Amino acid sequence: MLACILIPGFELRAALRGRARLLLEPAALAPVPGTRPEIGAVTATAEAAGVRPGMLLGEALATCPSLVLVEQDPAAAEQAWEEIMLRLEGEGLVVEPADPGCLYVETRTVERLYGGIEGVLKRALAAVGPGWDARAGAADRKFAALAAASVARAGQILVVSSEETPTFLAPLPLGILPLGRERYEELEGLGIRTVGQLAALPGTAVAERLGSDGRQAWHLARGGGRSRIRPRRPPAEIAERLEFPEPVDNELTLRRALGALVERALGRQERGGRAVRKVALSARLVGGGSWRRTLTLREPAADRDRLRVALGPKLAELPAPVTSLGLELQELAEWTGRQLELVKAEGAELQSRLKEGLRQVRSSVGAGAVATVVEVAPWSRIPEHRALFVPRD
Amino acid sequence: MVADSGAPRAVRSQRLNEPRPALVEAGFDGVPRRVDRRAVALVREEWRVVDRWWTEEPVHRRYFDTVLEDGRCAVVFYDEAGRSWFTQKT
Repeated sequence: MLACILIPGFELRAALRGRARLLLEPAALAPVPGTRPEIGAVTATAEAAGVRPGMLLGEALATCPSLVLVEQDPAAAEQAWEEIMLRLEGEGLVVEPADPGCLYVETRTVERLYGGIEGVLKRALAAVGPGWDARAGAADRKFAALAAASVARAGQILVVSSEETPTFLAPLPLGILPLGRERYEELEGLGIRTVGQLAALPGTAVAERLGSDGRQAWHLARGGGRSRIRPRRPPAEIAERLEFPEPVDNELTLRRALGALVERALGRQERGGRAVRKVALSARLVGGGSWRRTLTLREPAADRDRLRVALGPKLAELPAPVTSLGLELQELAEWTGRQLELVKAEGAELQSRLKEGLRQVRSSVGAGAVATVVEVAPWSRIPEHRALFVPRD
Repeated sequence: MVADSGAPRAVRSQRLNEPRPALVEAGFDGVPRRVDRRAVALVREEWRVVDRWWTEEPVHRRYFDTVLEDGRCAVVFYDEAGRSWFTQKT
């Protein structure tokens, strides 16, 4: 059997770690800066006051004036999620993360060890830990397991056998299916309000009316396909962090800090000369929240400049000044070296000629003849403050 | 003879796109009529930059993006603190 462990409002709970008191008050995840001002997950008290996840910020505050907005903390969420997965793996479970707060585990391999499916899930919920209000659902298909976990209460285990799956899914509301808002409205307009009603429709008619996502939802409403758990790859643990004496928002300073972090991370012995496939850049923001971006390189690289070029543009997405910047090498390639080219690439010859030309200019005109443009404040409204002309030697 | 290379060399950077003084004749409303002795055919855009007022070098400029009679484009600004005209690329 497959099981789904679900932690509703995981990001909010992770952001509120150490401030558990707020979980009992009306609180919601603040919108991500630069995006549509929609609130994220909300606490049960906020929900009781009429606030719903995805509500516009103004509407939410009008509905519940005492609503506390909690800054998004993706770094804390990722760390907490990783800790939970490690604890589950420590119990001998094969884990496949779906989203933060939702993962699937394979129970068959350890059922005899823990005395049946219920024993496994009790063990899994205990491994997740208290304070997360995790719940578990088990079925022979992923979607049915997810539906069971969605219906279960905090700490509850709900096991749905394959025979019971159609009757279990039938009365559930359509909201459990991964459909866009317009599709829900379209289905409700047609008088279809439950999963069972959708499953009873002919598949071709649904596909014709609602397109491929409608067809996918119909397929899930009928239980979904059988799929196996794909165990995750444990992440590499090479992380570097740089603390700043004061909040920094200057892009040049941030780029230099990134350069230093890349050098330090690549210099770590644990890397063992292997190229980097996936990296994460994180920052602690001056307001107390955090920021995080993950990047998978098209081709694994162990070259400092390539990593800097790939990660540099991400710094422009920082929403606020930062107090620290971190870099994690999350996934490393298996190989340590690459076959060198027999014939030099076309650009290499050009590069060496350019270098030679610059050397010649410098020796004939003198130091300071060759310079680079360095952007220091490209956002400045004063044009001459945007860039510097820096001599190079 | 080789110069002593023990001391670190100082590298001085300079600002890019520094404003250059411009010869501008303006009308009563402060809008440029002639730039570098050429008549202004069109003022495409006008904007103000007020910045760094909290420092000892406040910036208070009135920018004009102009097209001259010979078809060239010129961006000029009136520096209200120094009461003089400059040209600058934006």
